[in-house]
Amino acid sequence: MSKKLSPEEIVKYFKDEFKTKIKDVQVRKKSAGSKKKESYSIWMNIDKSIFKPFVKHLCDLQFPHLAVTSGNDLGKTIELIYHFTLGYGTRFGEIVLNVSVELPKSKPEIETICDYIPGALVTEREKQEMLGVKIVGIPDTRRLFLPDDFPEGVYPWRRDETGLEKLYKNLHEVKK
Amino acid sequence: MKQKTTTKTSYHIPIGPIHPALKEPVYFEFEIDGERIVDVDVKLGHVHRGIEWASRKRNPIQILYLAERVCGICSYSHPAAFTLAVEDAAGIEIPERAEYLRVIQGELERICSHTLWAGVAAHEIGFDTVLYFTWEIRERALDLTEYLTGNRVTKAIMTIGGIRRDITKDMLPTVTKHLNYLKDNFEKLRHAFLDDKTVKIRSQNVGILTKEDALKLCAVGPTTRASGVKKDVRVDTSYFAYGDLDVDYMTPDVLTGEINGDVYDRIIVRLLEVKQSIDLIEQCLDKMPSGDIIAEPKPAKLLSQLKKASGEGVGRHEAPRGEVIHYVKLNENEDAPYTWKIRAPTYNNILPWIPMLKGEQIADIPIVAASTDPCMSCTNRVAIVQDNNKYELTKEELHRLSIEKTRRLMKQ
Amino acid sequence: MRFSMLPQVFAQLFKKPWTNKFPAKYQPSNTTAYLKAVSEGKAKINPPIKTPPGFRGKIQYDKEKCTGCQLCIKVCPCEAIEFKPEEKKIKIYLARCCFCSQCNDICPVNALSMSDEFLLAGTDPYEKDLIVE
Repeated sequence: MSKKLSPEEIVKYFKDEFKTKIKDVQVRKKSAGSKKKESYSIWMNIDKSIFKPFVKHLCDLQFPHLAVTSGNDLGKTIELIYHFTLGYGTRFGEIVLNVSVELPKSKPEIETICDYIPGALVTEREKQEMLGVKIVGIPDTRRLFLPDDFPEGVYPWRRDETGLEKLYKNLHEVKK
Repeated sequence: MKQKTTTKTSYHIPIGPIHPALKEPVYFEFEIDGERIVDVDVKLGHVHRGIEWASRKRNPIQILYLAERVCGICSYSHPAAFTLAVEDAAGIEIPERAEYLRVIQGELERICSHTLWAGVAAHEIGFDTVLYFTWEIRERALDLTEYLTGNRVTKAIMTIGGIRRDITKDMLPTVTKHLNYLKDNFEKLRHAFLDDKTVKIRSQNVGILTKEDALKLCAVGPTTRASGVKKDVRVDTSYFAYGDLDVDYMTPDVLTGEINGDVYDRIIVRLLEVKQSIDLIEQCLDKMPSGDIIAEPKPAKLLSQLKKASGEGVGRHEAPRGEVIHYVKLNENEDAPYTWKIRAPTYNNILPWIPMLKGEQIADIPIVAASTDPCMSCTNRVAIVQDNNKYELTKEELHRLSIEKTRRLMKQ
Repeated sequence: MRFSMLPQVFAQLFKKPWTNKFPAKYQPSNTTAYLKAVSEGKAKINPPIKTPPGFRGKIQYDKEKCTGCQLCIKVCPCEAIEFKPEEKKIKIYLARCCFCSQCNDICPVNALSMSDEFLLAGTDPYEKDLIVE
């Protein structure tokens, strides 16, 4: 894709399609170096119901590069943030798009995007085991980073009672 | 009674976490038919140390040193991406001289990493003379690192808001002497590696990754540039001082004019990047402005400034192996960040191993896997389960298989 | 070309090896006997290559200047520094130190500095040579 997209155009492209389901849009600009060239990043918060159509809409615009997905435990909800980048291939053309989706803790489920972006398999498996999020339709449900004999129901990234508080020991208390 | 017809079953070879010539403990299970690989399965997680969890009770300055120990070879890239994320979240401005110095340190690390990789790749083929030659070149680059930062590997030179040590005028003669040595020897290195007939036979048309696969599996770094996809954080975004310098995507058609996506192309991309790094360091030394090197020189004030800051930030850097991305969330009145997520570049390059290895021979596993430059060293053991007998192949055996193939090809 | 490394290999035949032979040219058959001979003056140890200025070696602590503000303890990533409340001075455990020199930067009275000593191996993490106070 040789056309250089500006961040405002991208935000408008999504807002035209999904209107009110996109909230908290923020466009950040950073300049670096002596010549002060700028780079942009977009942060937005979307509703869980439009997640899969959103990703399809994004792939129609330009095939994105999925860097990673990070997760936060916010008390009553779990927030997943997908970090995409668009516009690679041209000098100063890349725009980072950070999309966050909130899931209630009573039903932490979300659809997979592996059918659109096969490279998302590794990061989705990680969310399943670390946060307890159930990814519907994922082709491979095995554990990724945790060993197989790790107890079920313990999710290391969470900060509530399913977290790791009972499982770790301090070295200096154990050894000397 | 009818004789049961024998069907051809395929063997499964588990190449365990501690294993051949691959530098990262990864578990593979190969399904092979004779000598050809039919299918590959990958499992990770053997060096999971809980680093992100250890950051929950440390303040950002302590986390810098924790980030440095994620990986020994990319020990500058992880603190660099972390400081970019914290500066994005807290809104800290960096002086211009610090940005140029950061570029110099990053490119120096890239030279050390790529020459180490060139030696290891030659060792996989069986070409040990080139291993010793490239590692001697690397020693001079490490001497320069020790002179500039105080230590060869754990550099401890990054800090939030700038950089810890400056390059003063009286340090410049040593720096230029080392750079000239590297420039003179680069041509010998290129000639030894790229013009050699054996290297060409072993690495051309082996381990091919097509452009569509590289795009769809989100591969990063020289692995994807060798397949023709133009992805490089230094060219795409403007961070540190790369916006002022003359950088371009290094794809194999710069040297040979065509793109195959095989192991030979990856060797070309990495050697071209060494030349590009030497060139970038010289550009930086010429253009560097004078001024401060750190935004807030007193660490105690910096800590209280970070404690009051809140927000989320993302930092990306082009490490020698690809794109490193860190995500940090800071909360107000808390010392430690609420969340810290690291994604090292090798994790995106694991999935491309599957299309690369299908259809290859077992003796090609070391060179194909080493060509994506996975990050960490290790030893190995291979267990082959055949019928009901179990016997083990050690690293020497697999290495011997790889060298024997080279000898066979050379005789043809 | 078939043997592209040949010119380098030939040139190496006439050059001295680049390695510095520290501590001795060949490994002694009995290390403890060799070390005893060195302390009596009968054998010599080749010195290691000199470290550049700014090398981060063993930490040096100036006790008089220290005011007991505990800022170094706050910033040490390895928790290698302990506070002694009765004297208001610190104690550094070298077995845990990672030689980052961040404590040097934060000390308001410059009581800490890094020397160029790097031969610090010992058998017990709490022995006297590995504690600076």
